[in-house]
Amino acid sequence: MRVVLAGAIATAALTPASAFAVDYMNADQAARLMFPDADRFESRPVVLDADALQTLDAQGVRARSARWPVKLARRGDQTLGYVVSDEVVGKFELISYAVGIGLDGAVRQIEVLSYRESHGGEIRLPAWRRQFVGKTAASTLRVGDDIANISGATLSCTHVTEGVKRIVAVVALAKKTGLFE
Amino acid sequence: MHSTRLLAATSSVLIAASFAFADTAAAQSASESDFSKRLDQLASELAKVKAELAQLQQQQRTAAAAAPAPGTATAAAAAAPAPAPAVPVSTALGSGLLNGPATVLTSYGEINYNRPTNDSKNTVADMRRFVLGYQHRFDEKTKVVTELEVEHAVSSSSDRGEVEVEQAYLERQVARQYAVRAGLFLMPSGLLNENHEPTAFYGVERNFVETAIIPSTWREGGIQIVGTYDNGVTAQAGITTGFDLNKWDATSTEGAQSPLGSIHQELQLANARDLSVFGALNWRGVPGLLLGGSIFTGGATHGQSANSSHVTLWDVHVRYQPGRWDFSGVYARGTISNTPAFNAPLVGSTTLIPKSFDGWYTQAAYKLWSNDQYSLAPFVRWEQFNTARSFADLGAGLTPDAARTERVATIGANFNIGSGIVVKADLQRFRQNPDANRFDLGLGWSF
Repeated sequence: MRVVLAGAIATAALTPASAFAVDYMNADQAARLMFPDADRFESRPVVLDADALQTLDAQGVRARSARWPVKLARRGDQTLGYVVSDEVVGKFELISYAVGIGLDGAVRQIEVLSYRESHGGEIRLPAWRRQFVGKTAASTLRVGDDIANISGATLSCTHVTEGVKRIVAVVALAKKTGLFE
Repeated sequence: MHSTRLLAATSSVLIAASFAFADTAAAQSASESDFSKRLDQLASELAKVKAELAQLQQQQRTAAAAAPAPGTATAAAAAAPAPAPAVPVSTALGSGLLNGPATVLTSYGEINYNRPTNDSKNTVADMRRFVLGYQHRFDEKTKVVTELEVEHAVSSSSDRGEVEVEQAYLERQVARQYAVRAGLFLMPSGLLNENHEPTAFYGVERNFVETAIIPSTWREGGIQIVGTYDNGVTAQAGITTGFDLNKWDATSTEGAQSPLGSIHQELQLANARDLSVFGALNWRGVPGLLLGGSIFTGGATHGQSANSSHVTLWDVHVRYQPGRWDFSGVYARGTISNTPAFNAPLVGSTTLIPKSFDGWYTQAAYKLWSNDQYSLAPFVRWEQFNTARSFADLGAGLTPDAARTERVATIGANFNIGSGIVVKADLQRFRQNPDANRFDLGLGWSF
């Protein structure tokens, strides 16, 4: 099994197109919100090979993509944590969100960057997002178990929760492999 | 490759220039040593250009190796995991997908089997609904949402099915917190009307309160503004078409089954002189909790009767989903004003127009078992509803008695396959009309 860092250039060059139905913040602002002490964010995209994907699958996590745009929150020569921005489909449309993870592998914060559905914008409310704080790769992370649903936005809740579970598992696996050292 | 082409072109120009220079030199009878010196100079410059070209090509190969297919990237990075360049805080972190498709196809369907336990000869299997829809985004702030529905599988002059446009509205996000919706849209009433896909509710059939009292799938044509606030409140308000009391058929029992369902217009050449207004508030500030209510009121005679009448419908609802539990409750009440003027000529008919009708239900479901693919959620529901809670006074001996309140107990389970398929089974017992007791099976999907 191999989980490796991919070349950083391509991902670092990607910039959100912005200006969707409702943009709440961009990925930069989210990262700074999650790690206000960071003086920079280093691009450390992770590429999973077939074995790594199988390992995640065995944990009940469908990695969906082999490439993950992980950013290291850095202050001086210290790493403070990890930020991953991602998108999932709600009911009809893409939901953009970012997940901040501490060095202990626990979710520090999630932020909804853009929400485009007609219903269910409440997933961006702090009370709903706070449910993810402290969750790790060992957590259930499932709507109707340790994450409460929002009535009328079941698909948005379910898919964001699955997305967070994926990201937490990918970062944990990459960390275990020593990639971020 | 662009820079490679530029360099190649530059080389050609230099070579061409060298020949031109040679011609000129000959014409001017320059000395042989001068000519030789100039040639050496040109050769040196050409070598320099060649070196630069090779260097650029090498850089391109390196960049290509860093980016593409995972396999390649794995090898390159494994061989030389060069430290990634620091990305300044001001540079966007970026994400993969940017826009998503502009047009999305949607569908849901329900196939139901109803077997009356005391009257099995009336057992029915039915393609209850087959719905196709699309959402198309014109630009980042504007979209159209539609649903086209076929009920009961076949629609023709000799069949009982119907083809309906269930939703067809445009929505534009006009500010961060506000969207304007216009067209044919679902009314924000109760818990089910706006979320009526089979995967979204428990039980094979929709509950009675939200079919007999709130006439789901209830939609009107009009315009509304939707506000979504940071405190968890969603507010909706608008002006729409309404009901048409002129359609009341006193010889039919339809009005006794669902008073508003029998006079709804569904934007089918709707009489629209009298418009209605509505408002709805929903609060989802605590995870798992929804508290809400709605009110709708408007004229229902459209200047086509000597007397005018108003229809009003309001509801309060709650849903609480802590962990594996899912509790919900709805109370809805409707009134029709000035009914004596309409009922007086109808006295003696099967179904007079009620003054009021109402109902409530409470439901509890529990996700008993689940894994990544399946989940099983048994539920129980108790509901009471009365489609003719009261009649306005028509005089002694003429005023009909209020209908008896029906009470229905439902016990069953939803078995979900993935997040888009559901198999349902339930038993329903009717206190007032035991002949209606039944066993139901259902298959549904939604995407």
